Amino acid sequence: MTISFILNGEDVSANARTVDRLSDLLRDAFGLLGLQSDCRCGRCGRCFVFLDGRLVPSCILPAFSVRGKEIVTIEGFAQTEEYRDVVEGFETAGLETCGFCKGPKILAMADLLERVPRPTPREVLAHMSSVPCRCTDPVALVEAARAIVERRAGRIYRRAGQ
Amino acid sequence: MLVSEIHFPKDLAEALELIRRPGILVFAGGTGILREQGGRGISLPGEVLFVREIPELRRTSLTERFLEIGAAVTLSELLELGDSALPPLLAEAARGIGTPAIRNLATLGGNIAARDRFMDSWPALACLDALVELRDRGGATWMNVNRFMGDDGKPAFPEGGLVTRLRVPIERWDAFLLRKVGPSDYPAPETAVFAFAARAEKGILAEARIAFAGDIALRSRSLESSIIGRGLPLSSREAATIAEGYKSLAAALPEGLALQFGVLVDGALGMLSR
Repeated sequence: MTISFILNGEDVSANARTVDRLSDLLRDAFGLLGLQSDCRCGRCGRCFVFLDGRLVPSCILPAFSVRGKEIVTIEGFAQTEEYRDVVEGFETAGLETCGFCKGPKILAMADLLERVPRPTPREVLAHMSSVPCRCTDPVALVEAARAIVERRAGRIYRRAGQ
Repeated sequence: MLVSEIHFPKDLAEALELIRRPGILVFAGGTGILREQGGRGISLPGEVLFVREIPELRRTSLTERFLEIGAAVTLSELLELGDSALPPLLAEAARGIGTPAIRNLATLGGNIAARDRFMDSWPALACLDALVELRDRGGATWMNVNRFMGDDGKPAFPEGGLVTRLRVPIERWDAFLLRKVGPSDYPAPETAVFAFAARAEKGILAEARIAFAGDIALRSRSLESSIIGRGLPLSSREAATIAEGYKSLAAALPEGLALQFGVLVDGALGMLSR
């Protein structure tokens, strides 16, 4: 079947079989290799995308289910100011990630701060449990969230002053 | 690999026409269906009824007496209703299901309609005496979620029909407890959820409910009736007698779960003994 949806801000169509996972479609048909499709059970987080603004594991999402929806992958998110806030917040906090979980952790952190503007440490750790890779120091995750909140507030404040 | 026909009903009436087809699979969040399929391709039956976008299944409403939740409302959306609208026991149960990203897909209807085991929302909904609306072309039937437990404690979800809404009574609870035991990220044979809720009126225990469920469920109305009407706090002797009753009920559970159930019952009764 042909499914049409919005991918990283552009209207796209793709031929998808009913057996296709969204993660495989995005990699195979659109060459979006920033996401992986490893565990195929939604557990590892490496296939995260935003579906209509919500973080979801695309490996447990049938391709047919995104008909008419908006999908943003790490490649699309990397074009936004929010991405820069998160990356620079990670750097400020000295947060280090392995090559496997950097993208998912960026998306998960952005998702948290979109919903909870000033999260508590407990909220940060609970939300980041979506990416179970243990390469990151939990204290650094909490510090990074704080740094991103400050950076984002500063950016919004500067923009309001212009 | 079987190629399925996917139906995208635009409204509930169209879905109720399609649900009559033999073997059709109702697909909402799909987390329970796909999380157990590790291969590259998804395996689905010949016909799939995709209900996630049906407007009637996406609504929630709150009155003074109950909260109504559409079956395709996701667990994240449920939690976003906030503490003022959501019974704390149900909120605790929802927070314990999957990860935040999984909860963006998983629906309450899918969680309660699982046929092979009791999923994590069942004990909380059973304690709250929630009702589930099942619809087919003939009309709607409201069933208490406790009726999804067979006489042998195994799941007895009715065949046919579409889960459309859940109705959760809004009541005051003075004490409640929800604990998940076993692996937390996805149900395993040793995973189960314990739920307890109690209410007092003028120093007398007016309601006390305990439900525990995993592969099989435990809830005893007769034991609950034997507790109600006692003065609070319970004496240690009363608590011990009640706990013994519950522990004998747990004989049907695997040893590890029975032990954990006993500890949780002691904890719940301890709340009534203080």
